[in-house]
Amino acid sequence: MNKIWIIIQREYITRVKRRAFVITTLLAPLGFFMLIFSSFLISTYSQSRTDVAIVDETGLFKDVPIPDAEDHTVYFHKIDQPYEQALKQLPKEKDADAKFQAIVYIPRNFNIDNPGEVQIAYRYMQRPGTSKHDFINSRFTKVIQQMRMKKMNVSNEDMEKIRRDVKLNFESLDNSKESKGYTDAATVAGLIMGFAIYISLFFYGTMIMKGVMEEKTNRIVEVLTSSVKPFQLLMGKIIGIGGVGLTQFILWILLTTAVHFIAIPLFGAHAVANTNLQGANNSIDPDSFQAVWQNLGSLPVFEMMCLCPLYFLGGFLLYGSMFAAIGAAMGEDSDQQSLMIPVTAPIIISIIIAINVLNNPDSNLGFWGSIIPFTSPVVMCALIPFRPVWWQIALSLTFLAAGFVLTTWLAARIYRVGILMYGKKVTLKEMGRWIFAKD
Amino acid sequence: MSLLSLQHIVKQYGNYRASDDVSFEIPQGKIFGLLGPNGAGKTTLIRMITRILYPDSGTILFNGEVLSDKHTELIGYMPEERGLYKKMKVGEHLVYLGRLKGLSLQKSREHVQFWLQKFQIESWQNKFIEELSKGMSQKIQFIATVLHNPQLLILDEPFSGLDPINSKLIEEEIHAMSAQGKTIIFSTHRMEQVEEICDEIVLVNKGKKILEGSVKELKQRFKENKFRVSFNDEIRADLLDNLNIVEKKPGELTVKFQQEHRGNELLKLFVEQGVEVNSFNEELPSINEIFIRQVENN
Repeated sequence: MNKIWIIIQREYITRVKRRAFVITTLLAPLGFFMLIFSSFLISTYSQSRTDVAIVDETGLFKDVPIPDAEDHTVYFHKIDQPYEQALKQLPKEKDADAKFQAIVYIPRNFNIDNPGEVQIAYRYMQRPGTSKHDFINSRFTKVIQQMRMKKMNVSNEDMEKIRRDVKLNFESLDNSKESKGYTDAATVAGLIMGFAIYISLFFYGTMIMKGVMEEKTNRIVEVLTSSVKPFQLLMGKIIGIGGVGLTQFILWILLTTAVHFIAIPLFGAHAVANTNLQGANNSIDPDSFQAVWQNLGSLPVFEMMCLCPLYFLGGFLLYGSMFAAIGAAMGEDSDQQSLMIPVTAPIIISIIIAINVLNNPDSNLGFWGSIIPFTSPVVMCALIPFRPVWWQIALSLTFLAAGFVLTTWLAARIYRVGILMYGKKVTLKEMGRWIFAKD
Repeated sequence: MSLLSLQHIVKQYGNYRASDDVSFEIPQGKIFGLLGPNGAGKTTLIRMITRILYPDSGTILFNGEVLSDKHTELIGYMPEERGLYKKMKVGEHLVYLGRLKGLSLQKSREHVQFWLQKFQIESWQNKFIEELSKGMSQKIQFIATVLHNPQLLILDEPFSGLDPINSKLIEEEIHAMSAQGKTIIFSTHRMEQVEEICDEIVLVNKGKKILEGSVKELKQRFKENKFRVSFNDEIRADLLDNLNIVEKKPGELTVKFQQEHRGNELLKLFVEQGVEVNSFNEELPSINEIFIRQVENN
């Protein structure tokens, strides 16, 4: 035990003292800051202007206003020229001085009641982006809908009344603190937590693997194993690097929170929300970010603070030992990347489950994902803001503990043979045989 | 009294027997050569003595007790393929290895200082291992091996990568330790070093022990009754008629007898003929020759 402690100290201290540690610890929040900043820049400056000529052979749209885009990206111009003439004016290449870059052509026999029969055509030289494409489509849909309403003698006011959105007020009965916007806040928090665990498992898992490979490649492992048991070496390394991870994790939480507080007044909640929600399936409207922000306080912060580090540690022990076993089998032979697949695949699957589960927290997938130890660290951390029932957490933690005892045992069996094995291409089958090899 | 006793050690990897019923004794305070060609099973034996591996059957006794984990602190092992953490400083690295061998932090620091001073390399203390040359890190490896004052030292090719001056330094250190009563297992391919350094040897091949004994005794056992005479004068041809000459150079002859032969009788033959003999000695086989012959016969 004493020797494990000495190994832990070395693994921890040499890494924390390294310049790379200080740099990554500081740079990650800075990177987060840059992400917010760049998405702010992109949303401000990336919007190019597209001028669209409307050639209306039907004359139906003559008196109907077709508003331009509110974000100044698309402008409509009704022109009186025939279609063929307008086509000639369409610039072949990118040309800022051109009057228009695309034509919306409404053929003579176009029927607003049956728009599928003769279609409106959008003719362009430069393909519009998806958002412009969607915008133009929806703008015409809206205009034509209005025209139909008029035909049916429905006034604009009536139409407004018909179209008025219904918003349900989601309120939990068993927690008075939860209010409107809570689900959004929980989704954001769950996503951040899930991703944080996901990335750290990869990051520190790889760190363990590289550490083991280093020891094997430079052969210090022979000296070490004549002093300590391979299992002590393995545990010392995993716990030491786990400590490094935990330290970095805590520093990141502190620094990122600080950055958040600096970034919001600087760039506005919009940009911050945009960065946070990338990959969130657009389930949250950035406009409601203020509501999200206000609801962060009502999240189960205490449970998150306690359970997430616990799941990080559990997941880390579970995967860390497996990464170590892979490192021991690979050694200097780093071209055997395929050996990593059995370890990396479940981590990737867990983040896919987590993202799905955020949209559907009480699904079966979410339940099993949070119980199975290979996916539970990521999935459960994403789920904690949704307040899973206590026995689900207890069951999940029990399985996680059992899981890491099992993987550590298996990994130690592989590790002890692998670190002393040189000059041999190792296959997964071979590693399986090591598990049952006698000492 | 032997410090280490290996009794019927068997170690099998799949179909391959790395140690096949190997037994030998390593006497206390002696320098013991563990020899064998590549792949003979030396490393496997050493790994079992250092408790990196465990024999499938057979017993290893250390000072009369069954070898167990508590003995690893009494053993210092310098493997042939050795390395250190490149990103650590010399001083802290040695202290770390000392602590893994059971020294307290305080003691480990003291021992490191002692050895760095002894080798006059205190100034290396804050250097990173990656800054050291191969010879320099070899010295550090040696210190790491002896730091905890082990009773048994296992040195696998300790001189590889060392220049003659540093080789001599390490060799002197090995003899000094032996004089202090430490037991040393010395494994090498370089046979001239074996003759210079070892008291006793064991030769293994294909997992089996094929020879053991003291260097002196082995040379006697495998001698071919060869004598070399060098002289000043011409020799009468008929004098050589009855002799089996294996080598003839101007002024020098090597004579081989079928059975054990007394040197005096041959010398008498020359002296009686009035040949002025410059030197006369029995040619004993080198350990190298014995080694090659035994491995080939095996």
